[in-house]
Amino acid sequence: MLGYFQSFSLPGAAQNLVCWIALFRAVFMASIARKNLFEDIPRFLVAQAGILFAVSLVTIQTGLLRGFMRSTTLLVENSRADIWVSSEDIANLDLTLPIPYERVAQARGVRGVARAEALLTQGALWRDASDALSSVKVIGFEPDGQLLSPGQLTQGSQRDLSEPYSVILDTTKVASLGVRRLGDEAAVNSRQARLAGLTSHIQSSASSPFLFASLETANAYVNSRLTSGATRATAPALEALSATDSITYVLVQAEPGEDLQALQQRLEAALPDTRAYTRAQMASQTQAYWQKRTSIGLILGLGAVVGVVVGIVIVSQILYSSVSDHLKEFGTLKAMGASNWVTYSVIIEQALWMSVLGYLPGMALCLGVAAWTSTQGVLILITPALAAGIFGVTVVMCVGSALFAIQKVTRVDPAIVFKA
Amino acid sequence: MSSRANTSRVHPFWSIENQGQGFVPPVGSKPPEAKAIAARNLEMVVHSGAGRFQILKGIHLEIKKGDVHLLMGPSGSGKTTLLLILAGLLTPTAGSVNSLGQEITRLSREKLARFRLDNIGFVFQDFNLFPALTAAENVGVALNIRGIRGRVAQQQSRYLLEQVGLGDRAHHLPRDLSGGQKQRVAIARALAGGPRIIMADEPTAALDSQSGHMVVELLRNLAKEQGCTVVMVTHDPRIVDVADQVVYLEDGHMKARPKG
Repeated sequence: MLGYFQSFSLPGAAQNLVCWIALFRAVFMASIARKNLFEDIPRFLVAQAGILFAVSLVTIQTGLLRGFMRSTTLLVENSRADIWVSSEDIANLDLTLPIPYERVAQARGVRGVARAEALLTQGALWRDASDALSSVKVIGFEPDGQLLSPGQLTQGSQRDLSEPYSVILDTTKVASLGVRRLGDEAAVNSRQARLAGLTSHIQSSASSPFLFASLETANAYVNSRLTSGATRATAPALEALSATDSITYVLVQAEPGEDLQALQQRLEAALPDTRAYTRAQMASQTQAYWQKRTSIGLILGLGAVVGVVVGIVIVSQILYSSVSDHLKEFGTLKAMGASNWVTYSVIIEQALWMSVLGYLPGMALCLGVAAWTSTQGVLILITPALAAGIFGVTVVMCVGSALFAIQKVTRVDPAIVFKA
Repeated sequence: MSSRANTSRVHPFWSIENQGQGFVPPVGSKPPEAKAIAARNLEMVVHSGAGRFQILKGIHLEIKKGDVHLLMGPSGSGKTTLLLILAGLLTPTAGSVNSLGQEITRLSREKLARFRLDNIGFVFQDFNLFPALTAAENVGVALNIRGIRGRVAQQQSRYLLEQVGLGDRAHHLPRDLSGGQKQRVAIARALAGGPRIIMADEPTAALDSQSGHMVVELLRNLAKEQGCTVVMVTHDPRIVDVADQVVYLEDGHMKARPKG
């Protein structure tokens, strides 16, 4: 039977589910469980709504947490750098001290480095045409470089950033920043900014809207003074960065076949007061920071736990009430000589049906919500592994909720089915 | 359709051809035993808030294989309690029950359940059919719990329903059946797995006279044609005629010796 089902091209989790249900039906009585469940449709729908709610809550909270974590490292994941060199004073990707631009040249001189490029990140003030203020995160990089990408451009080109004071924004943030189309102008600190391109899916939920610019433009923005709205933003000629100008990271690409660990050590030795991280280490350190040193993990995790608790309460009530309504039937089965396991199997099968029929619409709803929120710049990350994990949680939740009902059935005296 | 016409369709399992793979051997194929059930010195005392009640007092009983045995008496006389003890659903305060050669009063709860599954079919006053299941599915459940599943179970369900004259009602839910039809479904369910004993609790109480007569005929035929021992609690005096033995209970005592 298992082989029969494996011939279908169902995803792993769904395939396993189908097999288990078929196996369960082959071993235990299917009819009583299913028919008792569907006997009272309104009650069944209430139960399914409860499970759907629980599944949605757990999925969205967990997806938000994963999406948040992922978004904090999108910049790292979009880079092609093997190693990120930062100040030795670093808490996470967004919280580190600057290093001098000369570190880029020093890095290029280290054996095993194929390419080194500068990355400058710093917060700044955005002022749109109507003088409305917003904060942005300026990300300065080399538009002709190869180690950082501003994501998937939907309009404009990365090379357009070579034009002074040109910027690229994420599609989901343009409305909130008061610009609409390419060529629209605003100000960053006291310097002009012209929208030259739009990107997508590279916005961190943990920081202000990303503003991509050339290294020189970014340097001009972060070094310009804040001015009042009455003062018009200016666009003086840009200057190349000097050795003492501040940058945030040196992105390093290793020679093919280079031992990254050894290269890290060489870079840290050659570049004073710096730390070198592989891409994975930088991502992991940043995610660990948000998860452990902020309450974001706790808050979203708590929401997921509440979802499971709500699900358990609802399913327990429905199953207990169903068993109470059919107590004589369970008594009849026991009088006939059915073992406790037979009666348990009826309840467990009901719980399994409830979990499957609550999970599927719940997950479909979450996928829809996730698709919509991604257009709003909020990432709810639902991976196949997460979906499978939530299905496991749903099954455990529903079967676990059957324990009260099972306890009630265990106590049923088969003699209740006789009149006297 | 007269009751006689209906019950005349009842015939032994072994006369049917093409019974299908895995069919349970007919009752008659089991080795004959003189006594199906022997109860000795049964006492049953219960304690409740109102005090101590002795429901059964010194009951001695022997039921022969293939007999229709009635337990009669007024309400509260202990008939159903005695039936429950004989079926292994209740443990007496004192005394013993030997059923089909086994001292069932000494069996564990699990072994008693297994004994009932293997040897006893039940017919209840209120039918106790599963309301969400069709007639065939109700019978199928009794086969399922005996390990008979799939097509074999479907074939046997249909066959058993035909035996009780309800072959054309296999896909009806209990709510669409009359009281007599429900009880016949219950009898078909009780026959699943080929029990050697049928325990019936007031099987005609909820039925009109015609349906009641039909049900009694079915049970009698089970005993006479298939060697099934039928133990029946009843108030219905019309059934006495078809019984081989009758025990009258009053205040927990046996008041009369078995008929015959």
